[in-house]
Amino acid sequence: MVEPGVAAADAHAAGSEPSPFGVTSRKLAIWMFIVADAATFAALLFAYGYVRVANPDWTRPFAFWPSIANAIVMTVILLTSSLTMIGAVLAAQAGRSRDALRWLVATMGLGTLFAGLHLREWSSMIGAGWRLFRNPLGGTPLVGATFFGVTGLHLLHVVSGVAVIGVIALGYRRGRFDAGHLETTGLYWHFVDLVWMFVFPLIYLLNLR
Amino acid sequence: MKRYVVIWLGLLAIVALEVSLALLRVRTGVLLSGLLLLALIEAALGLLYFMHLRYERRIFVWSIVLAVVLTVLLMDHFWFDAFRLLRQRLTSP
Repeated sequence: MVEPGVAAADAHAAGSEPSPFGVTSRKLAIWMFIVADAATFAALLFAYGYVRVANPDWTRPFAFWPSIANAIVMTVILLTSSLTMIGAVLAAQAGRSRDALRWLVATMGLGTLFAGLHLREWSSMIGAGWRLFRNPLGGTPLVGATFFGVTGLHLLHVVSGVAVIGVIALGYRRGRFDAGHLETTGLYWHFVDLVWMFVFPLIYLLNLR
Repeated sequence: MKRYVVIWLGLLAIVALEVSLALLRVRTGVLLSGLLLLALIEAALGLLYFMHLRYERRIFVWSIVLAVVLTVLLMDHFWFDAFRLLRQRLTSP
C-alpha cells in the first residue's frame, strides 16, 4: 500500500528514485528499530534457553495462583491495549481527533495497569527472596537473572511506550503530529505486545510448578 | 474495527489454549513445541493485521521477515554447547 506521504515525498525530491518499499521514511525507521529490537529480545530468550538447558537443577518458580493468573490478566490487558491503539490510529485516519485522543488515553491507562501489575509481581518475588543472582528455592541462581532480565527489558519498553504515547497524544492535540505519527507509535506498541506473546509462554507457562 | 476485534478475540483464544496446554502437564519438550507454535501463530496475526504487514509491499515484508528469521537461525548454534554442558555436568561430591 503506497501512502500519500510517499508520493508527496517522491514529488518533492524530484530527480531522485521513488521509495522501493512504498513506505514513508518515518515508517521505515521504526521498522528498522523493531527488527533490531526483535534481535535483542531473541538474543535474551536464546540466552534463557541456553542456561535452562545447561542447568538440570532449574527451578520452576511459578504457582498457578497468583503468579500465572496475574500473568494471564497482564496478557489480556496488553492485547486489549493493542486494540485501543488501533482504535486511535483508525480514528485519526478518519479525522476524528477527539476519539483518537480518547483511544490513546485508554492505551496509556492499560499500559500503566500492565506495568503496575508487573511491578506488584516483582515486589512479591523480591519479598519471597528472589534476586538477580539468588534463588530462595535452592536451584540455580540464573532463574532470577533470566526472569528479571527478560521481563525487566520488556517492562522498560512498556513504560517508555506509555511515555511516548503521552508525548505523541499531546502533540497530536496541538496539531503538531498527524495520523502518520500515531501509526508509527502504534507499530512500536504492537511490537511490545508481540514480544510479550513469547515472554508469557516461555518465561511463565514453561516455569509453572 | 470489527476485523481487529475478531483478531483480538482470536489472540485471546490462543492465550487460553497456551494456558490449557501448560495445565495438561505434558513433557517439557512437547509443551515447548506447542507453546512456540502457538506464539508464532499469535505473532503472525499481530504482524499481519495489527502491524499492517498484510497491506505493505511484498518486498518490504520479505526484507523485514528475512532479516529477523536469519538472525534467529544464526543464534541456533548455541544449542549444541548447551547440550554439551548438560551431558558433561559432573555429579556433586
